[in-house]
Amino acid sequence: MRKQVDIKQIVCVYLPLVFILLFLLFPFYWTFITSVKPEEELYGMVVTYWPESITFGSYSKLFTTTVNFLAAIKNSFIVAALTTLVSLTASTLAAYAFSRYRFTGRKILMCTFLCNNMFPTVLLLIPLYSIMRKLGLLYTHTSLVLSYTTFTIPFSVWLLLGFLNDLPMSLEEAALVDGCNRGVAFVRIILPILGPCLVATGVYIFMTSWNEYTFAVMFTNTETRTIPVALKSLIGQLGVQWDLLTAGGIITIIPVCVMFFFAQKRLVEGLTAGAVKG
Amino acid sequence: MKKQLFGKRTMAVITAALMAAGGMTGCSSGNKETTAEVTETTSAAAAAVTVASESKEEQTTADEIKPCEIKFRYWADNTDYSQLMQDIIKKFNAENGKGITVIGEESPWDGGAYSENLFNSKMGGGDVDCAAWKLTSTPLFVNNGLLADLTPMIDAWDKKSEIDDNIYNIMVEAGDMQRIYVMPWNIQVLYVYYRPSIFKKAGIQVPKTYEEFLEAIEKCTMDTNGDGKTDVYGFAMRGAKGGQEPWGSFIYGRGGSFEDLTTPEAVQGMQDFIDIYQKGYVPPTATSDGFSEIIANFQSGLAAMTIHHTGSSKDMEKLFGDDVSAFPFPKGKGQWTSMGDTETVIFESCENKKAAFEWVSYLAAGEGQKMWCEGTGNVPVSKSVQESDFFQNDRFMKASINGQKFAGIVPILDTTTEWISDLWPNTVSQALTGSITAKQCMQTLQDGLYK
Repeated sequence: MRKQVDIKQIVCVYLPLVFILLFLLFPFYWTFITSVKPEEELYGMVVTYWPESITFGSYSKLFTTTVNFLAAIKNSFIVAALTTLVSLTASTLAAYAFSRYRFTGRKILMCTFLCNNMFPTVLLLIPLYSIMRKLGLLYTHTSLVLSYTTFTIPFSVWLLLGFLNDLPMSLEEAALVDGCNRGVAFVRIILPILGPCLVATGVYIFMTSWNEYTFAVMFTNTETRTIPVALKSLIGQLGVQWDLLTAGGIITIIPVCVMFFFAQKRLVEGLTAGAVKG
Repeated sequence: MKKQLFGKRTMAVITAALMAAGGMTGCSSGNKETTAEVTETTSAAAAAVTVASESKEEQTTADEIKPCEIKFRYWADNTDYSQLMQDIIKKFNAENGKGITVIGEESPWDGGAYSENLFNSKMGGGDVDCAAWKLTSTPLFVNNGLLADLTPMIDAWDKKSEIDDNIYNIMVEAGDMQRIYVMPWNIQVLYVYYRPSIFKKAGIQVPKTYEEFLEAIEKCTMDTNGDGKTDVYGFAMRGAKGGQEPWGSFIYGRGGSFEDLTTPEAVQGMQDFIDIYQKGYVPPTATSDGFSEIIANFQSGLAAMTIHHTGSSKDMEKLFGDDVSAFPFPKGKGQWTSMGDTETVIFESCENKKAAFEWVSYLAAGEGQKMWCEGTGNVPVSKSVQESDFFQNDRFMKASINGQKFAGIVPILDTTTEWISDLWPNTVSQALTGSITAKQCMQTLQDGLYK
């Protein structure tokens, strides 16, 4: 009986799971082995599923040639971290105001935030470029941070709003009865509960800015370019430097993986928090 | 209820206003100078002459070159080329003796979006002074008044004669048919790769005329093991996207041209193309063969000849050693081969055009030309660089250089991109498989290109 159950479990659960995992992980595996293949094997006529010899030459080349990947990583970190900070602060306060106060123009403002997301970001490209140039911010991290907030804040406001609307007012009312003012109640009561949702929103903002290319290619130069632009520069007109590109890809996903590793639990809590009505 | 309805109406009006404002902002985002230039350029066709004379006057009366910074945007196909460009810039900055400092700004090629990004940044008032270029982008930039007219500077340039007149003509054709907005830099000229061992087996020499070329294709098609099946095809034909380049040589070989694809000569060229397919002188997969397939067919020994440029020569030489060589597409009633291009431009907004011209001319005929072409394997446009041993001792380079006199491009029109991507492969495929005649095919291609 137990044996029968085991076989059923293997066929119905584990096999499909293994198949799905293979499907999901194979691109990462292929990216990795491409990055460690020697050039002759990589561009040879015979396809090998495991490299005959392993070399980390492409990884060292990434940091020693004109790609200057270390600077790109540093720039991406600065931009993504600052965007997360600015967007999260602004959107948390905005979402709290939309959720807790009833004021004139509230709905219009909320809808404006929603409509903002409906515009293709490329439409903002030239106006923003012009604004940044006139402000003297072109080719600085600030220009990218400000541009990214134009689409991360509206989305984050709506994401946080869903969660805040589900929080009972009685929590703050209790705090007010206990002598807190609105501000203290927000900091001491609402913010800690909002934690998982802030993590989820923060991860979304961070990843959006980490991977963004369209604005990055326009608003940066050799000194300030971010990872997506550095990686794109490896795709030439007549060929692709697959070894460097895949090595760069592997390095790029490491910080994101580490972040997910630490934020995983809170991330899932945050994403599902606003979805269940109690 | 009424209040709700009012709210919705207000929202609808505000949304519409926002969209309109967004659209208007997008359309009017150029800087004042640019907008003025656009108005100036588009206001009247007659003004073109005035603009030319004004621009000429401005450039000829400009002060001598003063120390300045020139921002040059370029793309590099790989990290070696990127390093090479930085070395060239460094050398120029150290040796120009006029205090010109070129600042290189590398931008990804991004599948051709390089030009779009450049356009966006110039429309937004970007401070790039000059840039690496593709001819296909010229009309867009010229129509928006973004490019400087280089004609007076080239006319006054002591190395003008270093570059073949045909190349200048192509630059003029890509612009407004009157002025040169684009400075030649390097080219890739298509030529015929062939296998001398197969030619020997077929008992033929390198074809001297178009007719001999067709004959060579036929004779090189062989059944080498006597099983009744073709083992070697005479020619690796490109029937998929990009095939218009070698195809154009057949059309011109019979005396046709891109100006009118429906002439009896052009139709005859198309008929030749159909014949070599239908008679089995090219692999049966030719209708869908693209660049990778024709190169693979040639490299595997399945085809005796194919058409491409120096971009594949290193691999060919590595694989076949001496058993691969090249010749320019032979002359028939006419002669044409396709030319890939990379140029430079100077933007109208550049404040130091003369200094920028020093830099782009350094790339066109100076040390920059030599360094770049030797490093990248591209064909130089400078005659003196072409004559150096490095290029003369390379049989593939030689075939390219010999072909540059009759090299050309498909006319750059609004329809060209669609014509190349969709119309040409689909229509020619129908003609090759016999669904339509050569005449019908050429009529469709003519209508599609010049609609």
